[in-house]
Amino acid sequence: MHFFSQSFQYDHPWSHVVIGMWRKYPNPKCTHVVSVDVVDRSVDPQTGIIRTERILGCKQKAPRWIVKLFGGSEDAFVREICFVDPATQNTTITSVNLSLSQFASCYEVVRYTPSSHNRTAFTQTAEIQARMALWRSAADGLEKWLCQRFEQNAQLGKTAFTEVLRALSEERLGRPAMAA
Amino acid sequence: MAESLAPQCTPLKTAYDACFNSWFEGYLEPAVAASQTADREAYSKKKAEEYQQKCGKVWEEYKTCLQKAIKESGLEPVLQQAREEHPLTNPSPPSNH
Repeated sequence: MHFFSQSFQYDHPWSHVVIGMWRKYPNPKCTHVVSVDVVDRSVDPQTGIIRTERILGCKQKAPRWIVKLFGGSEDAFVREICFVDPATQNTTITSVNLSLSQFASCYEVVRYTPSSHNRTAFTQTAEIQARMALWRSAADGLEKWLCQRFEQNAQLGKTAFTEVLRALSEERLGRPAMAA
Repeated sequence: MAESLAPQCTPLKTAYDACFNSWFEGYLEPAVAASQTADREAYSKKKAEEYQQKCGKVWEEYKTCLQKAIKESGLEPVLQQAREEHPLTNPSPPSNH
């Protein structure tokens, strides 16, 4: 598990930062973000909270060994959920990778809240963890094989023992044990 | 504006984004002010309806185009799984996940 965190103050009021959030892309510094789509958005009529679900498409040049091993491509997609709460003046954005999600998880949380003198506090944390899916799928395969072997052996064992008991019984009765 | 993951949906996305941004810019600061009084619910209800009226149609068109594109791109299963793992349907208080 790797952790990352940073915090920063923007010299803009909170509402300007939040309005600006939706206009962040495209920008010349973030050319790796190539697409942004809103897949869901709702405005809560009681609380006034706006929930937005977005998919961002990124193009990153991953090292070749990664692309080969994990079958990845240049295109990486990220799912982002954003809550804007005007009542508490809190904006929380949670992002998780969609691409290569069975191999690694990058879980990021960003928060924007008002700070003193018309400024906005920004905090960002990320947890990056490799998942054991690679080993898990190998382990699953092994288990399955073991199960099949076990079942097969159990069948053989039952048949074989039935025969052994029959032979022992014949012996008791003084008859020669017949060949199975 | 950034593009859509599906080029054919970009015009609809641009139209929807423009509609939402325009509504949102008029929404936010009064919403903050209304929260400080007892007006929050009345204001939220009114503005939610206004959003539906102004942007509902273009949203449906964009959403239809996008959902078709997501299905065709093969992203849907991984998106579904991500939604099941982290539904994030409610804003949580600041804490670890």
